[in-house]
Amino acid sequence: MAMNFDELKNDWNKLDAGQSDISTEMLSIKAAQTPVDKIRSKMKHEFKYQLLGLLVLAFTPRIFGLNPEIKPVFVAFYSVGCGFTAYYFARFYIFYKSSYDMSLDTRKNLLWFYYEMKINIELYKSLTYILGFISLSFFSTYMFVTKGSSLLSITKYSMVSIIVFCFFGILIMGLITELWVKVCYGKQVAKIKEVLDKLDDE
Amino acid sequence: MKETTEQIFLRQINENKAIIYKISKMYMDRSEDQEDLFQEIVMQLWKAYSGFRGDSKFTTWMYRVSLNTALIFLKKGKRQVAATFLDENIDLIDVSDSAEKENKIAYLYKAVQELNAIEKALIFLFLENQSHKEIAHNLGITEGNARVKLNRTKEKLQLIIKKYGYEF
Repeated sequence: MAMNFDELKNDWNKLDAGQSDISTEMLSIKAAQTPVDKIRSKMKHEFKYQLLGLLVLAFTPRIFGLNPEIKPVFVAFYSVGCGFTAYYFARFYIFYKSSYDMSLDTRKNLLWFYYEMKINIELYKSLTYILGFISLSFFSTYMFVTKGSSLLSITKYSMVSIIVFCFFGILIMGLITELWVKVCYGKQVAKIKEVLDKLDDE
Repeated sequence: MKETTEQIFLRQINENKAIIYKISKMYMDRSEDQEDLFQEIVMQLWKAYSGFRGDSKFTTWMYRVSLNTALIFLKKGKRQVAATFLDENIDLIDVSDSAEKENKIAYLYKAVQELNAIEKALIFLFLENQSHKEIAHNLGITEGNARVKLNRTKEKLQLIIKKYGYEF
């Protein structure tokens, strides 16, 4: 059998989409599901848990019966953590509420989605790192205050152990964050990047 | 009686629903995914409709929104067993139907599944009788690039269709 593009075009233009019409119900059947919508939805859920976590963390001194000396230090670290979280929540709220224009040309549309997702994923990662560093710093301070009588007593501990603890602490935190982001949000960004590369390919 | 915005929108997309139907079939091979994409395109068209000022033709605007949605659409990981109302309302032809296999268009739909997302967009716009200039304008690339890409895609599609036993 033979086929050519002119015939295909003719057959193509004779196609119809069936008798049934698109109805009003179809306009409200579900929420939009673009990659950005999916990332927004996932982040919204995660932030609910983060807020709950911060709330539980407020009772840490009472739950673990922390030394009264360490309480002011805890409050200071906790406040800094809350401050950063509030700032990032505000940024994410703007991202969550911002709309997009699907009627741009394909290249502009793909670039908008790609960079919007990249920026917000990077913001998400930086908040995780900041909270991780604050937790690590508090834990280190806690160890010094409770295990040693003064900062001079640090020398009693092996400096190598401290370096190894901090290095691996940061490394593990980084690995978990990168892996989590890749599993939860990587698929959407990778798909857009792949299409963009195909469009740029000369 | 004066038409509401929703009624005007529904009338306009129903007049041009073949665009959504064809894009859904080109971008998704499984009928459930086609229905999902169809629904997503309708949703995105409705969301974007308030921004349509009529500076361009309705179909030009519809091509852009529909193609942009298809290009970034992600299939559902796990499918739900429950059928949606789309099963009853939208007649998406099943390519696996033996009668359809004799149809050239059915072979075309099968062949385009082997193309990447941009190649599908190029072939779709070409079949919709768009010029190189219009294709370039819709995709945001230069006219020369559109011409080169389209020629390469047509050659690739010919080779795929030949594999199915058609002369091209």
